[in-house]
Amino acid sequence: MAEVIDSMLDLMRRLPPTRTEENVQALVNICPDEADELLQSVDQPLQVMVDRATGREYLACDYNRDGESYRSPWSNEYDPPLDDGAVPSSKMRKIEIQANEAFDTYREMYYEGGVSSAYLWDPEDPSGGSNFAGVVVIKKTMTPATPLEPSGSWDSIHVFETVERGRQAHYKLTSTIMLQLLTRKSSDNDKPNSTSEKKGPDGLKRDGEVSLSGSMTRQSEQDWPLQDSSSHISNIGRMIEEMEIKMRNLLQEVYFGKTRDVVYDLRSIDDLEKARRQKELQKELVGFIRR
Amino acid sequence: MDATERIQAASNFLLQSPPGEINDVLNDIRTIIADDELLQDGIKAALKEYNIEQFTVVDVPEANHQSIISEAARVEAEGLDEERFLDPRSKISFLFDHLSLEASDPKPIEPDARHEEFRSALELASLNYLKAHFKDGVTAIFSPKEGAEHFVVQVVANKYNPTNFWSGRWRSEYTIDLNKKQVAGKVLVNVHYYEQGNVQLATKHTVSFDLPVAVASAPTSAASTKIFALLEEEEGKLQVSFNETYHEMGEKTFKGLRRALPLTRQKLDWDKVMGYKLGAELSGTKSPQPASVS
Repeated sequence: MAEVIDSMLDLMRRLPPTRTEENVQALVNICPDEADELLQSVDQPLQVMVDRATGREYLACDYNRDGESYRSPWSNEYDPPLDDGAVPSSKMRKIEIQANEAFDTYREMYYEGGVSSAYLWDPEDPSGGSNFAGVVVIKKTMTPATPLEPSGSWDSIHVFETVERGRQAHYKLTSTIMLQLLTRKSSDNDKPNSTSEKKGPDGLKRDGEVSLSGSMTRQSEQDWPLQDSSSHISNIGRMIEEMEIKMRNLLQEVYFGKTRDVVYDLRSIDDLEKARRQKELQKELVGFIRR
Repeated sequence: MDATERIQAASNFLLQSPPGEINDVLNDIRTIIADDELLQDGIKAALKEYNIEQFTVVDVPEANHQSIISEAARVEAEGLDEERFLDPRSKISFLFDHLSLEASDPKPIEPDARHEEFRSALELASLNYLKAHFKDGVTAIFSPKEGAEHFVVQVVANKYNPTNFWSGRWRSEYTIDLNKKQVAGKVLVNVHYYEQGNVQLATKHTVSFDLPVAVASAPTSAASTKIFALLEEEEGKLQVSFNETYHEMGEKTFKGLRRALPLTRQKLDWDKVMGYKLGAELSGTKSPQPASVS
């Protein structure tokens, strides 16, 4: 039933992004038959896991999941262990190892922390030649040392498909970035700046919380030249870098621009009544002068 | 999932509806649950809770203004098996349909004589405050209920713009207690932006302060003007503080999560990134940690 999944996706576009996991779980419970399609279509925050063999952190998502287990990109092992867990072909695994190293460098350059993982999968149709697909995921979290320090998290999910055409390759990239920012304020922590600010009423107490959260998705398709199999990684790398730069600007505009504009549409800091009277006065004056 | 659990899940979704989108959410739920009969009765409680919590605006019958559905507006009367809400401005109580959001069966109500003078003074001050700062604001001022000593001041402003994929809601509620000589309140702002995405702003701000002595001792129209001057100042400060918070989030949190460009101020040289790895692999100096450029 296509309609049910459409309604589920519409619903997820409306409900608070801070509660995505809980709401997806509720939908899965209501319609278990739609679970697979829903989990594939709704991006959820990435989970950080630790590779038992190497001790390195990696990211768990729907793309490296087999049943209840997740495959590490570093050791290629499943956690909890699986005897027959799906793994890429040895050819694909070789590119996957390269991709993980390249995007780890990328992550360090732009995120200066956080965790990244790349997962590739072989073409479903064996006659598809070397047309493969994959995902690059990056997560960074800022955990506050005290409740009044700002906190936040960034999750990038880049899913791509490749189609080789001779010495060129065509790439289709679908990118989702989930971003959450939270700031708390309390008057108990206000620094006493006695003289400069006008004193409010006696016994004034304030507490506040501002939360900005959400996700945005964009797509891009490009052709790039191919020299060898590692060209795929640098090609996809360039596309992801360009996309993240574009989306970071977009997020900044929407998070700090659009939502602020709506708040100012709801309430005006300036006195609207005064502005109205000014306008009327001006009209009167113009009329007076014309006469 | 049994019927009770499905109703619970549906109600939970409804209560999370962004401003002005409860009908869209309800539509989605109808397709997902696919049992209108079950929903019809099952979600009544959630719709009511939503309307009360969100300060749903209602056209008051026989009046040409709007009022607010809320806990304070609920009429408490003995032997009443129907639920009525009060519009204190026109002094009319009415039945309210929580799905169609329509009011019906208006009945005049006798205001509490002890409080009405100050209540209507607060109302006048509040209407002036709305004119000055809200383009589409609605306000309601309630006298103390039986056994309570505080007036309730409510303001709500909504902006729905589905064509451009955004909506917003501002809610303020204050209690003014002349006995305790205190004002306490909260301001809640919600914004939803959903063009090719889903971004939500949710703010919660609580405030309390002592009523100036002169105001508390003489509840007059001058006192109500003074109270609203204090509220105006507080809400103005709050709105300015959003700018500061946004700036801080942009400068600290956002930049701290991901840089606009690497420290080198240049995009990555991907051939080098790949070449470096390849070189390291060939020379057999493969390190367990990949190069971290700092």
